[in-house]
Formats: sequence, C-alpha cells, structure tokens
Amino acid sequence: MRQTVNTKFKQELKDFGVGNWNACFNCGNCTAICGLTEKGFLFPRKSIQSIQMGLKENLEKSVDPWLCYYCGECSDTCPRDANPGELMMSLRRYLTSTYDWTGLSKKFYTSKFWEAGFIAFFGAAIIAAFLIFLPPSEGIFSNPDAFINNQGGVMINSMVDGISSTQFIKIIEYGDWTMAIIVALLLISNIFRMFYKVILKDKSVQIPFFAYFTEFFQLIYNFLTQARFSKCEKKSYWVGHLLLMTGYTIMFLVIVVLLPEFQIEEVKPWYNWQRLLGYYATFGILYFLVIAAIERLKKSDIKFKFSHGSDWLFIIMLGLTTITGILINIFRLTGMPVLTYYMFVLHLAILVPMIVIEVPFSKWSHLAYRPFAIYFAKLKKASYAKQSIKSQLLTT
Amino acid sequence: MGTKATAVYFYYPDDDSIINLDKNDLEKFSIEQSFVKAIWNSKNLSDKDVLSVVSEIKKDDIDRIVIAGLKPGFRKSFFAEAMLKAGKKLEDLVIADFGQYCNGGTRNQEIAKAMLFCAFNNVPFEFGFQPELNTVRPETMVIGAGITGIQASLEVADSNNKVFLIEKTGTIGGHMAMFDKTFPTLDCAACILTPKMVEIGQHPNIELITYSEVIGVKGEAGNYQVKILKKARRVDLSTCIGCGICSEKCPSKTLSEFDAGTTLRKAIYIPFPQAVPNKYLIDEESCIYVKNGKCGVCAKVCPAKCIDLDQKDEEIEISVGNIIVATGFQTFDAKKIERFGYGRFPNVLTSLEFERLVNASGPTEGNITYRAKDKKGNWIFEPGSGEPSKFAIVHCVGSRDRNYKNYCSRVCCMYSLKLAHLIKEKIPEADVYEYFIDMRAFGKGYEEFYQRIKEEDVNIIRGKTARIEESENGIKLRSEDIINDRIIEQEVDMVILSVGLEPRNDADKLMEILNISKTNDGWYKESNSTFDGETTLTGGITIAGACQGPKDIPDSVAQGASAASKVIQSIMKNKINQNIKDIPFEKIEKRVEDFQK
Repeated sequence: MRQTVNTKFKQELKDFGVGNWNACFNCGNCTAICGLTEKGFLFPRKSIQSIQMGLKENLEKSVDPWLCYYCGECSDTCPRDANPGELMMSLRRYLTSTYDWTGLSKKFYTSKFWEAGFIAFFGAAIIAAFLIFLPPSEGIFSNPDAFINNQGGVMINSMVDGISSTQFIKIIEYGDWTMAIIVALLLISNIFRMFYKVILKDKSVQIPFFAYFTEFFQLIYNFLTQARFSKCEKKSYWVGHLLLMTGYTIMFLVIVVLLPEFQIEEVKPWYNWQRLLGYYATFGILYFLVIAAIERLKKSDIKFKFSHGSDWLFIIMLGLTTITGILINIFRLTGMPVLTYYMFVLHLAILVPMIVIEVPFSKWSHLAYRPFAIYFAKLKKASYAKQSIKSQLLTT
Repeated sequence: MGTKATAVYFYYPDDDSIINLDKNDLEKFSIEQSFVKAIWNSKNLSDKDVLSVVSEIKKDDIDRIVIAGLKPGFRKSFFAEAMLKAGKKLEDLVIADFGQYCNGGTRNQEIAKAMLFCAFNNVPFEFGFQPELNTVRPETMVIGAGITGIQASLEVADSNNKVFLIEKTGTIGGHMAMFDKTFPTLDCAACILTPKMVEIGQHPNIELITYSEVIGVKGEAGNYQVKILKKARRVDLSTCIGCGICSEKCPSKTLSEFDAGTTLRKAIYIPFPQAVPNKYLIDEESCIYVKNGKCGVCAKVCPAKCIDLDQKDEEIEISVGNIIVATGFQTFDAKKIERFGYGRFPNVLTSLEFERLVNASGPTEGNITYRAKDKKGNWIFEPGSGEPSKFAIVHCVGSRDRNYKNYCSRVCCMYSLKLAHLIKEKIPEADVYEYFIDMRAFGKGYEEFYQRIKEEDVNIIRGKTARIEESENGIKLRSEDIINDRIIEQEVDMVILSVGLEPRNDADKLMEILNISKTNDGWYKESNSTFDGETTLTGGITIAGACQGPKDIPDSVAQGASAASKVIQSIMKNKINQNIKDIPFEKIEKRVEDFQK
C-alpha cells in the first residue's frame, strides 16, 4: 500500500508524552526481550520505526500499543535509552484520541486546563443541581436524631425534603443509568471506529468470517482475567492491576446496577454480602492507588518515571472518590446526617466527572480498547494464517 | 585590548564529569571584562530561533560573539547566520573550546579562563598556549609491550636510541599473541608477531624490563625520572635455561591468563612457548611456598639452580626523555549483562576465550569442543569432550549500549566474522548464526572480507540478541530478525559473545602517575583528535594503540610507529614542548599583550 510520509506527525505525537524515538537505532532488543511479541505483532520497534518514518497510517491501523502492558523491561535494557515502553504508553494515548470522534479526547490529553476545567465545571454543576433540586432537609440540622435508625446509622435516603425515601433512591438510580448509557454509547461508538481503522480499513487482512465468533471468547476472557498481562516478567503489576480492575468493576456494578440493594436505610451487619463486596473493592482500589502514587513519586522503576498529566489525574480523581466514599460510610455508620449529606454530594461531584471523562475519552478507555485489541489481534492472526495457507498452496 | 562590544555564549551540550568546570565562575570572569556586554547560555537564549538572537545582538549593540564551552563548534553556523543577519562581520565570531585543553588535572578552571582571555583579545590560543621548549634526553621509555609497544620500541631503537620497554606481565606480546588469525588477511597472528618479539629480545638498543610496573614519574618534559617496581620473578633471567623441569614437578595449578582462563597452568610457568624472555616465572598467588613457606620442589629440581624462592620486589629508577604509553585495553566483562548468562552457562563464551579455543596452540590444539567442569569446579576446555555443531555469535556485547559503553569498539564486527570463518574452516558442516546491529567493515579489505564470509554460508541476522537461556537442546537465543519481520528463537550448542574493548582497570592509576588526562569514555586523551592523535597535553608523553581508543592491529601498529616518529623528532631536534597544562596564566596574559603590540 502506498503511504505518504507525514513529516508533521512526530510533532503531533510529542504532546501525548515522552518521545525519544530519534535515539532508536532499530536494533530490535525491545521486541526480542518482550515475552508478548510474535510474528505480525513486533512491537515496540515496529511502532517506533513507523514514527521515525512518519508513517501515520501504519500506526493507526495497528493494535500493537494495546498489546503491551508496560512492564518496562524494554526500556531498562534499551541500548539507546530510547524508552520504548513509555513510547508505547504515549502511543496508546494518541490512539485513544484517534478513536474518539468528538475530539474531546485529544483536548483532554494535550491540555491540562481543558481536562481540569471540564472536571471542575461538571463537578460544580452537580453540586449546584443537588443544592437546588435536592437540598438537605432542615431536620438534619435541627433534629438529626430523627434521621438515625435503630442500628445507629444515618437513613441516607430520607435526608432530602419533599420526596420520599423511595423517590430519592430512584432519582439517583436514574441518574446513574443515564450516565452509564451515555458513557457506554460514547465508548461503543469509539470502539466501532477502532474496528473500522484496525480491521476494515486495513486492506491487507481478510478475516475468515467464522473467526469473529470463534475468537470472541478472547474478549470476555481477557477482560475478566487480563491473562496476557500475567505473561509479563513482573507479575506484581498484574496482581495490582487485577485487584484494581475487579475492585472497580464490583463497585461500578454495585452503584449502578444494584443501587437499590446497596443504598438502603438500614445498616447491614459487617458480614453481609454487599458490605463484604464493598470492603474488597475498597481494598483493591486503595492498594493499587497507594502503590501507584508511591512508585510515581519515587520514580525508581522505569515504568513510573515519566508520569503524564493524565496519569496523575487518574490517581487523584480515583483517590478522592475512594476517600469521599469511605468518609460517607464512616459518617453514615456513626450517625452524622449533615456530614453524610454533604459528603454524598461531594462524592458524586467527583465520581461522575471522573467516569464521564476518563472512561470514554481518557486513560480508562483502555478497559475496552485493550480486550478489543486482543480480539482484533486474534482476528488478524487468523487472517495471516489463512493467507499463509493460501500462499503455500500457490507455491506447491 | 579588545574594545568591541562582546557577547559570550556558553554552550555545554552534555555535562562532562571529567572536565567539571565551575560555570558560574567563568561567567563572572567574563562579565568582569569591560567590553563584555552580554552573557548568554541555553537558559536565556533560544538556540533554535535565529531571529531572536539577531534582536539580542541589535539590542545590546554587540559587535563580537565568543562561543565558549564544550564542542562550541556545533553552534558556529547558527551564530554565523545571526551575525550576518544582524549585519556584522563573520571574523568577529570566535570560538573557545574548553574541551581541547582543560581535561583532567587541577588547573581546568584557570586554563578555561585563559582560553576565554585569548578569545576576548582575538589571539589564537595556540599562540597563547605555545609552550616553551626543553632539551631532551635520548632515552625513551615505552610502557606496555603489546603489538603497539613493540612497534614503537623497534622504531625508536632502530633510529639508534636507547629504549626501556616496560611490561607488566612475564612476557611481551600482549593480546595479539593470544589471537589465532588476523583479519582480513587471515594471517597467522603468531607467525607475524613472534619475529618482532624475538627482535625486541635481541635488539641492542632495547632494554626489556618485564614483570614490572611504573610506580612514579618525576621531572619535566625531556628529562623524566621514572620509578619502576620490578616484581619478584623468583627465577634468574640470566641463568634460567627454560628446561621446564620445575613446571613439570610443580604441584600447584591455577587458571592460565594467556589462555583467557580456559585451561590450567602451573604456579611456576612460562606464559606461552614463544614468550620473550623465554624464561620461567613464579606466580605469587598460586605458589604454595610463597603462601605458607612449604614446598620448594622447583628449586630442588632445577638443574641450573636459578630459582630464588625468597626473592623480593625491587625498585629501580631510570631517566628518560620521552615516554610512550601503549598499555592497551581489556575486554568488557560479559558477566555484567546478566541476561546473556555468561558465567552461568558453560558454553556461553567470550570471544577471547573462543579465540584461544580455536587457536592451534590453545588448550585443545585448535579443536572446537564443549567446555566442561573439572574436578575442582573450574570450567575449562579439554581435548575430546565432543564437538558442537551450532554456533551463535552475538555482536555488540557491552559496546554501543548506553547502559554499558556508549562507543563502538570497532574491532568486534570484524573479529566475529573471522571467528565465523574459523568455525566453518574447522567444522564445515556447522551452522553459524551471527546477530548484529550494524556491520562495521570499515577498513581496507574489510568489506570484501564480510562479503566473503557471507558466501561461506554463515547466517547473518540483523537484530540484537535480547536473551540467552538454557534449553533442552543447548542454549536458546531470542532475537528479532529485523529484515524478515519475525522473532527468532534459535537453539545452538555454543554462544560466543563479541565483547567490546574498554580501558584497563588500572588505566586511571597510570594516568595520575603520568599526569595525562582521559576522555569521558575513559580512554587516554590525545592533544588533538584530528591532527595529533599521539601527543598529550603533558610534554614528552605520547600515547599509542588501544589505550587511546579501541583499535585493530593495523591501526595500533600505525599509531605506535607514529608516536615513535614524534619521539625521534624531539630527540633529533633536542627540543621538546613543556607541559601545556603548566603554563601560568600571567604568561599567557603577557603573550597576548605582546601579540597585540
């Protein structure tokens, strides 16, 4: 396929992170030291070469950056300090921005003000909406004891005036579902664009029709276990990541799908299933956050040496969400209705913008792109296998 | 005096730990000059935007620009453009390259200032720095008796001047004596080296002092007093007849240095059969008598009674006019790269070890065999332990790698090709895989040699090997085949790591004794890398061979001869430069003033 060399491309990429690609002399050490590379998927070197030569199309149709989990071994052993691992990370940011049709992703990645401003605006809107439409009941100030149930906990759904406790939970639930659907639609449309760029636009592959079905389980399997990650040299990253992923997924399911079961007036005993799930999720998320924050500050491991603004934003937002969530729980259990209400509002004012920005447009989008990339890679592999059989038949 | 309004731009492209200048002090020194109107550096001046520089020039009404720092020539064209755009003359653009004269030593700061001073006054600093001349003693000392030292000694001695050749080990010959063949002609290395070694031993003008080290140098250019430590050889050189009975009876064994540790030798030994002087010596570290005072078998059996087991080290002093440093190199320690498994897997060898293995005078008489453990746990080669059939040669081990040595060691590509040829010659049906990054066949006949090896059916693969692991059928290498877009995991029987060259461990010690300097990568620094690769900034001391930078044999020999020609020149003129590094600042100031009158 004919391609034109895009001389502006390198400059465009610079905004997405560290770019020391000119140091690379294409020795192939990175590709060979990586345990995840195979024929057809020779990253990081091939990707770096494409950047060096300005072959934008090559990169946009490639899923290679998503197949890398950044264990950092290539960067540690790179003879030129070209830092291929971080380059793959930057490429993932770039690819996220190309999949996104709204253009917001690029804005968020390349400008801190856009990202922080958007979050601040969104958060302020949520706080305002609560104070205007769902203001706290006067009673929580004058007669807080009325909002405390038999077990000594705050009756969280009754703190708003004018609506019943069942209405309040419904409003929150509708809000959650609206958010989830909008986010899902954005993400799905972006995944379709990814599919178009990676599979449909790449004329060199002809996917066997049945492969779409036979390889589909890869998507589910990899989403749930991140089995590919476990093949990396440093297993501790995989464990930490799995804790975060399972923790967060549980939390998300609980607050969106199972909200009526979860946000209830009475306090359940500690061994109740929803409280146990909550504790597991909190532990998983906190464990990951603490390790990630320490490592990113220490910078001793190459994986954490070059933190992009979006990396920190992710840690800070998720950290604040977790802390406010824990505080809600403490205030609720110890029977402090005023603090519970305000913490609840604050929690939502952080959580909602975080999900709306991170999941479709920023760092968290990889929760979908990565398993899909593995799926697409398997499809491409099936196509390569078919083609090589064809070429063997032709030669014999 | 320079009256034109001057701006100084300080340029330090990479932080040079060896030069280590006080940058603020230099800026202060510059601003103290009345005509210096502006100090620029990378912080306050864009080094990309010419127009901003032009506006700076116009703002301060600058007429001259001095570009000072390390490798300032890199910025010359940029400022030249700015000067022309601002309507100034190009001759008012002056360069002061600190790296040229400040390198090591204690006077870096002062020399840098002197260079700035010369630049400010538009005096070429070669003039300001012109050292005064001393008279010269005709004797010369050569340190290191490898091929470079041998060549240099012969050249000087043949011009009828006395040479003291100092060698650290028991024999002359150096690394070249260990090699089997030389590239690209595939001459037998020993056959072309040993005649020269014999010539050294017999030359009337050469006094060979082996098993000795330089421990102190006093005096000045043209007249140095050198203190030499003669380590106790414990065998009298004049009476030893080299019969070898002592070695036969000696009960103590250790790894042979000459065979790169691939076989054992006795504690009383002769490094190799063609050694010069061809006399035995006792190695303190493995001799039982030296260790605990018991044994002495060798002294008892010696028919010439030449062994004195209680001999002590002695110090001698010689006076020389010139010193040629030809201390050579050592090979990179492959154990530092853990993922290559050297030191863990017996059949992962360094190129030097393999060189001994294929050598007809080596441990297996040139038969390629597996390395096995002996009873004491040493990994050695023994004849008859099976023949490997698949070989991999890994290039650039320790070289061209920012984690180890940044430079290219120059010789590895060629010797690797040569080793591939030797394998094919000994085992024609063997599979040989070479993993390279870039093939550097730069010399006369080298490219042709490369093409010839390719025609010999050696599999040459572009891609750096990333990992070497043990597998069921031998050793597995993982690498990317860049040209064919695939990952290869190749199983072989033996891996040869083409280790690079690095400065010797004791290079810094000698550097301090001689008051010379080194470049960032640790090799000794020459006074000018383009025109004067042999002399140093210390008068009367020349460097040659691999101690100045990685070199192959022809280049080393050429540089040895060229260093000798510098020495002979000075002896014939009876004049030699004093230390450039010792010229006091006042003297430079006075010269600059004289020049301007």
